[in-house]
Amino acid sequence: MSHLDIIGENVPRKEALEKVTGAAKYTNDDIRPGLLHVKMTTSTYAHANIVSIDTSKAWKVPGVRAIVTGKQFPFLTGTPLEDRPPIAIDKVRYYGEPVAVVVADYEFQAKKAAELIKVAYEPLPVVNSVSEAIKRTAPLIHENLGRYKRVEEVYPEDNTNIANRTKIRKGDMQKGWMKSEVIVTANVSFPQSDHAAMETRCARAEILPDGRAIIHSASQSPFVIKKVISRYFQIHPGKVIVHTPLVGGAFGGKVSIQLEFIAFLASYAVGGRMVKIVNTREEDFITSPVHIGLDARVKLGCTKSGELIAAEIIYLFDGGAYSDRAAIISRAAAADCTGPYNIENVWCDSLCIYTNHPYATAFRGFGHSELTFAIERAMDLLANKLNMDPLELRLKNAIAPGNTSPTQVPLNVSNIGDLSKCLEKLRGLMNWNEGQRIKIGNNKVKAKGIGCFWKNSNTPTNAGSGAVLTFNPDGSISLSCGVVEIGQGTKTALAQIVAETMKMDINQIHVRMEVNTETNPEHWKTAASRSLFMAGRAVLAAAEDAINQLREVASIVLRCAPEELAVGRGRVFLKSEPNIGISIQEIAYGYTYPNGNSIGGQVIGRGSYILKHLTKLNPETGAGNPGPEWTVGVQAVEVEFDIKNYTYRIIKAASVIDAGKVINMKAAYGQIMGGMCLGLSFASREAFSFSSTGVIQNTQLRTYKIMRLGENPKYIIDFVETPNIEGPYGLRGLGEMGVIGIPAALANSLSLASEVELNQLPLTPELIWKTKKGDQSDLV
Amino acid sequence: MISFDFEYYKPTSIIEAVNLFQYLHQKGKKPIYYAGGTEIITRARRNDLSMKAVIDIKAIPECTVFQFQDNKLIIGAVITLTHLSEVNVFPLLSRTSSGAADHTARNKITLGGNISGRIIYREAVLPFLLSNSQVVIAGPKGIKYASIHQVFKKTLQVEAGEFLVQVITDKNYINLPYVVARKTKIQKVEYPLATIAAIKRKEQIRTAFSGVCSFPFRSLEMEKELNDRSVPLRVRIDRAISHLPGPLLSNVEGTAEYRKFVLGNTLEDILEILEGERGC
Repeated sequence: MSHLDIIGENVPRKEALEKVTGAAKYTNDDIRPGLLHVKMTTSTYAHANIVSIDTSKAWKVPGVRAIVTGKQFPFLTGTPLEDRPPIAIDKVRYYGEPVAVVVADYEFQAKKAAELIKVAYEPLPVVNSVSEAIKRTAPLIHENLGRYKRVEEVYPEDNTNIANRTKIRKGDMQKGWMKSEVIVTANVSFPQSDHAAMETRCARAEILPDGRAIIHSASQSPFVIKKVISRYFQIHPGKVIVHTPLVGGAFGGKVSIQLEFIAFLASYAVGGRMVKIVNTREEDFITSPVHIGLDARVKLGCTKSGELIAAEIIYLFDGGAYSDRAAIISRAAAADCTGPYNIENVWCDSLCIYTNHPYATAFRGFGHSELTFAIERAMDLLANKLNMDPLELRLKNAIAPGNTSPTQVPLNVSNIGDLSKCLEKLRGLMNWNEGQRIKIGNNKVKAKGIGCFWKNSNTPTNAGSGAVLTFNPDGSISLSCGVVEIGQGTKTALAQIVAETMKMDINQIHVRMEVNTETNPEHWKTAASRSLFMAGRAVLAAAEDAINQLREVASIVLRCAPEELAVGRGRVFLKSEPNIGISIQEIAYGYTYPNGNSIGGQVIGRGSYILKHLTKLNPETGAGNPGPEWTVGVQAVEVEFDIKNYTYRIIKAASVIDAGKVINMKAAYGQIMGGMCLGLSFASREAFSFSSTGVIQNTQLRTYKIMRLGENPKYIIDFVETPNIEGPYGLRGLGEMGVIGIPAALANSLSLASEVELNQLPLTPELIWKTKKGDQSDLV
Repeated sequence: MISFDFEYYKPTSIIEAVNLFQYLHQKGKKPIYYAGGTEIITRARRNDLSMKAVIDIKAIPECTVFQFQDNKLIIGAVITLTHLSEVNVFPLLSRTSSGAADHTARNKITLGGNISGRIIYREAVLPFLLSNSQVVIAGPKGIKYASIHQVFKKTLQVEAGEFLVQVITDKNYINLPYVVARKTKIQKVEYPLATIAAIKRKEQIRTAFSGVCSFPFRSLEMEKELNDRSVPLRVRIDRAISHLPGPLLSNVEGTAEYRKFVLGNTLEDILEILEGERGC
């Protein structure tokens, strides 16, 4: 039966051939006659009142059908907090914000007209950093913050620039500091950056005569689009149909709903005709939401032997002009604020701050690579002060069953992975004990740094997923579910789960790649490393449901009890006498007796899953259960550093992650490696450069650099498997994990190499040079 | 996407191109000469440039020459940077021009376009500044030959209607010891913090720079300091840097102060190589 043992195997992606041949179709690939085109006029100021919008010249461009401004549709969107108009009203709050939208017959006409819209602005003082934003004297970015509607749990503070505050109060801080013999403080910061997915965001919309709204979108959240379009435009949810084909990379950036609103308004303005909006790279960088920035302060206290006692943590997230998912990111960072360490006394305030920067949304890791950078820098400072091996310090404090999380969730062998095992494995893989800083001559040193991480999800407490299995005439199975294929390969892994459960050949399992909210069962969002976890459970249930139905029909034909039957290799057969059985093909559409009588009917397996026992966090203490399980892991980076020029090469990067259970080994490697590359790129070079007036200087790939193929180091990836009882086949979330510890590991390796504490990102040679210089002048 | 219309012409002779230019200019079409198009297309997309006509010079035979003639290397203006580095008859030029942009772009970027462009780096000019090359310029007044130093002062100084046809380099310069160092913020495909091309001729080192100031240049004052072997290397370098022909560039790639640090270290490496054995 070996080839049916499909869990853990290297099954090629179901959509691989389509992708490598170029046959795969993405949202913008669909060309239709009569399609109208939408282009935006965007703000040239980071903070300004809109005095007037003159569209007269734009209207003169041939082919222009409509021009839409924010005032025509004055409503606010956003979850958890409704603070953002899809098109700016009265004022702009970031450079690149949509101010007006043109619909025209051809794209060049729309572009030309959008360029001719003249907007008069009255500039306002710009809030250009979180540290400016939290000053009492800071200009308010949202004057009406207190009156905004809260759609989910969120705690904005009126008359401030604070969109959300999450508090963690665990243990007794006074006692904690009293017992602490060694204390370090780390201040870290990094600016906003971007997801830079290969496919820029794109949406189409049309409103049919019967009132149905059809949206096509490159999105991670088609079912959320359905809900919000229904909510804001008062259309019955059944009449909102969202299509999402393959998505060309997302990394969290396609979780938010933005272009879909604009496309809908544009279609509405032209009587419901189908319109399309596609971001240019520049728009995708700054007009659409970005990767969050952070200023953090971490104070850790421990005993002389290195046992962590207390942590006081402040996270100030740069959420930009609108809170969007940034508010939830700040909460997620609070929930896992300490990193994967057992600390009894924890005080944390995690804030989502408004600035006049582009607004932030989810980025792979959802606040965790950010908080991990802060915590892991502090851990290295502490190891240094204790004169202790940084790996040993982490091993000593590694979180484990019996401990509690910062939100006071008791940890057990199922809900937390095994960090100590990961650390021990990494020690060998990175040859850690040879030493962490080695001179290799020629002004070069080799240095290694590590970063441990953990991550739970922060979904709504009722997030769930569904799956339907239908049969084809040959007995093969088609799987329908609501997970979006964003390059992560979840749908192939789901097919493996079906194949394993049904004991069928993987080639007999077909998966529909496109998501259609009208026909696919709902999947919350393709985010939070929860797709395979939740949809996997739904698929398991659907497969079991199908098996029960097949056994039911077969039991009549085979004249036995259903319990006596098993399913496998496309047959239903007697457990005691496997030769007696019937093929699935003969019963999947009902069984027909030789005389023509039929029984049964087509078999449709259905399954669903909802996250269980999750609670909101207590607003005063943070106590509560935010997610089902923690994945833990450790990552390391080895650099070759030039002590004269401060340049470096990343030689090696390693990850050891407790995956619970690996479903598809090669796919898991790919996911982790991709995440590590993303982390290295973000940590080493990706950042928006803001002028003093909040204007972004690098809105193109010419000047906003991302790592190129040839710059990748050697990747070493390994897994530990501590099953999570709730996960299908024991699996834990994996999608985001490759990125989380990498920025910290790179900063730790370079700090060691350069002998100066590097607490900012991106880690460019110029930053190292500047920090070195500052360090030397401090000594003078 | 470019949102405005423009006419496209592809003349097959210099005279036709020059006449077309004058004709279009008189008609108010603000014509521009077009070679690889990378700069024109990308700037026009951003509305950073507008024209009602372009004159493609890629079909003009003189512009496509790439050969030795009487001890001179003649390179036509529309030879692409990829072609230059693949043929590799002038290693210093190959190395220097293979630093600009990325491979896909260099398949389109031409020598003439890079030298005449508005981009501040124009790295392909550096070898010619070092080799005292001659340029051939066509225009309404006919064809003129001039030293690169007369014509290239920060930018290529041509009058309306003129365009670069060829660059001519004495064969003696082709195989001199050389070093090209291209320093960037963090990665290879990126605008330079400093690109320094250097050659050694008759024991004298010549240097030309891009990315250091807001224009490419060669400075005799700097060379004088760098070649003054009576003082220690670092002093020579510091003195040379004090003669920079303009303020150090400060931008997204790097601040002026950091550029100075990179410039000093890179010059040190280059001088050590060229004064030691020979360049590569």
